[in-house]
Amino acid sequence: MLALQQTGVLARWPTVSGVGPHRRRVLTAGATLLLAGPAALTGCTLSAHAPEGPDPLEFPARRAEADAALATTVARAHSALAAAAGALAADRMTHATTLRAELRRARPGSTSRSASPSAVPPPVAAPPANSDLAGARSALTQAMHAAQDEAAGLVMTLPGYRAALLASVAACCASHAALLS
Amino acid sequence: MSGSQVPVDALQRALAAEHAAIWVYGLVAAFVSNALDSQLDEAATAHQARRDATERVLIDAGAPPVPPEPGYLTPEPVTDAASALRLAITAETDAAAAWRSVIERSPADPGLRGAALEALTGTAVRATRWRATAGATPLTVPFPGAP
Repeated sequence: MLALQQTGVLARWPTVSGVGPHRRRVLTAGATLLLAGPAALTGCTLSAHAPEGPDPLEFPARRAEADAALATTVARAHSALAAAAGALAADRMTHATTLRAELRRARPGSTSRSASPSAVPPPVAAPPANSDLAGARSALTQAMHAAQDEAAGLVMTLPGYRAALLASVAACCASHAALLS
Repeated sequence: MSGSQVPVDALQRALAAEHAAIWVYGLVAAFVSNALDSQLDEAATAHQARRDATERVLIDAGAPPVPPEPGYLTPEPVTDAASALRLAITAETDAAAAWRSVIERSPADPGLRGAALEALTGTAVRATRWRATAGATPLTVPFPGAP
């Protein structure tokens, strides 16, 4: 899709760096990292490739896979939700694939996926087999809200590229939640 | 950690995208059904609030905020509701890319990243709603704002 083109030439504004240090922001960011630290280390399995516990992307990657499985189940069980759930499953599988690629890039040779299966509990439960349409819709909506919240939390602490990746994941999950409501 | 580093260039691009979106919604309103008025108002108000907040951040950082352009070239002529909705989707898509870039270039700062994430999420949800209104498929993209 073509981007909007501006008729005028945007003025080039000088890059201003280091102006007005926002000490409070620095401290806030530090505090957030400290808070995130212990949670990220819970149940870690140390290895040569993972000196600091599970890669924090492991959590959203597993959640994306679980959401995709849930949505696939819902799409098969409820024709009224087939389109919405099918699209949700496709987007969440794309998230999982991209997050797994980043996990492999960051820690080549890591076996984090199978090394500590109990370290990360399944993020979502599958709906009951006899779940009605409203229940299935509610399960998908809750899954999207949970995924959005998890990704949004990681956006605040991770390095730039990963933060941007998870920001897009959060925005996508919010979009699906909006469609389901 | 360089928490004091404000990504001025990325914020200026985001501000330029907000200016463009505000202009777009003024145009779109002339071509779509009155039934969409409240949604259009909501979208325009969100972009105006984002513009104002971004200008404040830039001023605080000592950078003069970019002004709106006097006019914008649209990718295609806007002649009816369908082309107007496509333009709204384009404006939201452009804004999504600009705000994602702010996140990528910001230090791990909940203030700035939080605001940029809210902006990105808003653009993605609005673009999705406009696609639904326009009958476009797919309704969503897996990575809103990604290059």
